[in-house]
Amino acid sequence: MKKITVAFLVLGAFMAKAQNVQNDTIKTNSIEALKESVDAHSMKFEGLEERLATSDADLGKLTKIKVSGYIQAQYDMYDTWTFDGVHGINGSSTSAPVTNSFFLRRARIKFAYEALDGVKFVLQPDFAFDKVSLKDAYVVLNDRWTKTFSLYLGQFDRPNYEVEYSSGSMEMLERTKMAGILYPGEKELGAKLEANFDTKYNFPLKLQLAVMNGNFNLGTTANQTKDVDNTKDVMARAVYSVKLPNAGLGIDFGGHGYFGKTEVMPGTTLTGFTKADGTAFTPVVGDKLDKTWLGAEMQIYYDFLGGMALKAEYISGTMSGVGSTSTYVNYNSGFKVAGLRDFSGYYATLIKNIGTKNQFIARYDEFDPNTKLSGNAVTSANDLKYNTLTLSWQYFYDDNIKIVAGYSLPVNEKTTGITSGDFANRDKTDNQFSIRIQAKF
Amino acid sequence: MKTTKFKIAAALALVMVIGLSFTTLNKITVKGSDTMVILSQKWAEVYMQKNPGATIQVTGGGSGVGIAALINGSTDIANSSRPMKAAEVDKLKQRYNTLGIEIPCAKDGLSVYLNKANGVSELTVRQIGDIFAGKITNWKQVGGVDAGIRLYGRESSSGTFVFFKDNVVKGDYSPSCQTLPGTAAIVNAVKKDKFAIGYGGAAYAEGVKDCKVKKDDKSPAYAPNAETIKSKQYPITRYLYMYLKSRPTGETKQFIDWILSPEGQKVIVSVGYYPVK
Repeated sequence: MKKITVAFLVLGAFMAKAQNVQNDTIKTNSIEALKESVDAHSMKFEGLEERLATSDADLGKLTKIKVSGYIQAQYDMYDTWTFDGVHGINGSSTSAPVTNSFFLRRARIKFAYEALDGVKFVLQPDFAFDKVSLKDAYVVLNDRWTKTFSLYLGQFDRPNYEVEYSSGSMEMLERTKMAGILYPGEKELGAKLEANFDTKYNFPLKLQLAVMNGNFNLGTTANQTKDVDNTKDVMARAVYSVKLPNAGLGIDFGGHGYFGKTEVMPGTTLTGFTKADGTAFTPVVGDKLDKTWLGAEMQIYYDFLGGMALKAEYISGTMSGVGSTSTYVNYNSGFKVAGLRDFSGYYATLIKNIGTKNQFIARYDEFDPNTKLSGNAVTSANDLKYNTLTLSWQYFYDDNIKIVAGYSLPVNEKTTGITSGDFANRDKTDNQFSIRIQAKF
Repeated sequence: MKTTKFKIAAALALVMVIGLSFTTLNKITVKGSDTMVILSQKWAEVYMQKNPGATIQVTGGGSGVGIAALINGSTDIANSSRPMKAAEVDKLKQRYNTLGIEIPCAKDGLSVYLNKANGVSELTVRQIGDIFAGKITNWKQVGGVDAGIRLYGRESSSGTFVFFKDNVVKGDYSPSCQTLPGTAAIVNAVKKDKFAIGYGGAAYAEGVKDCKVKKDDKSPAYAPNAETIKSKQYPITRYLYMYLKSRPTGETKQFIDWILSPEGQKVIVSVGYYPVK
């Protein structure tokens, strides 16, 4: 019996040992398998990490591209009357006058790409039914060390407050008559250097200096790809900002100057030229007529019942033109004078925020294309002074959509010096009501 | 007749302008700096307990996001851990014709977080800047062990990102700096990684150690605490701001007045920041 018991115990011990050996084998195998699995997963993770890094790098490049844009669609009603009682605009022997119209004022997309820190490319085409035109096309080089200077090269806004104020942010439907004549199309081809001493030195002074071809948006488009003469126009502007936070007041004030020439080109009709004082002269091809003016500006922001602003600008100087022949390379459709004129103009705009969604805007502007003549001494419609009152209301539906309604009442000076047509001793009725919806992204 | 009509129209317009300008707000929305979320939530909580009629909604997203929301009108108050940029003030001018209202409401020390197991415990501001710029890449270059430095930082919409960049890095961050959404995520990452370094508000430093910071080689090193931040001995200090479109009225004004009162400023200390007064 003893022997049997010992035999069972020995067998049991062997079985137990065998079992332990089996368990250890399983454990070792499991750990090995687990290690293999972890290694495999680690490799997979490393692969994924690598792919993620590549995707991140690609995404990083994409985030440097910024696309924005806006569409301005509007309905216009023209309270325009000819001297013989015809209501509407664009009436001719072949077309009936139009008293109201839907109109696509602007449709623009802006692409900005920040290639490196301090280098930015901007391209902004404007789409119309009959053409696509380039509005902005420039590269900006920002100085990375002092964070003060920026150099623009290409086609950009001329340095003037009203011109640089974005068409998408503008409170009024249109810019003033003065801006349209002095800075047609707002943009210019050239180089512009800006210095903003606020960023680095907390000194709120901004300086701008631009050298430009000086003929953009004049004459035919084909003539604007390169300069039409060898002289360049120069603009300079300085703006200083004062902040009085306790009074809720901010004042920006400054001035700008334009120093350029209008060259008399071959093919120009050399008759009918007059100087600023009205005396006739005959230019010769190659003559350079003065195009020089100085301006002062002020913008006052006041935190009164939710915010209001008063913006004003005054510009005075000498403008020159080559007449009213639209084929001339430097023809200005807003200033059809052959010769020189002393001019002056100003505007004052009051903007009042009403709550957070509405704005009321009133603007009064004047442009006198010939300060040497007034009243009955004026004999040409091109020399008539205009005063325009514009009232506008903006409703911001949300951050992307706004609705603007505006009414403009231009009044031209009366003169007996003009004896026939729309301006014969009368103020031509040419008021306009527009309602616009602007959607931006 | 025409004059009378014009006068009536003008009078009506004036009444509308004045009437609509006095808009009152029942609910106050606060958005912006993630650094300020805890503080702002605490302010809102205590204020709402004392003023049961008031509703204050606080969300984060980063200082840039808060200021953008202020400009587009989707928040009443923007929290920001950096001053507003000139370009942002210009946008406020364009849209609301005001310069905005800046209210410094608390002081903060910006901590540099290190893993507790890291042998390095003090750095100069310049060394920290060079580390985050990628000029110093190994801990042995600053007296630590021979191991690569792993960088954790905030996204570009964060005011802390901007403040740290402008005042410490003084240039671009290293491309290897991993951006994380929020200071808590940075603290968590540094906690798990022996060779990591991150930055953020002093109030978040739990489970990591605050690096002592020296203004320069010759200056003593200071840890960010109430005393060193108030006395500006700790070199990386900043104000925390609230921004509004225009001068506050109604409930918003009451809320801000309360924040700046001794009672509101007391809340700041309980959250780990420092009062302005």
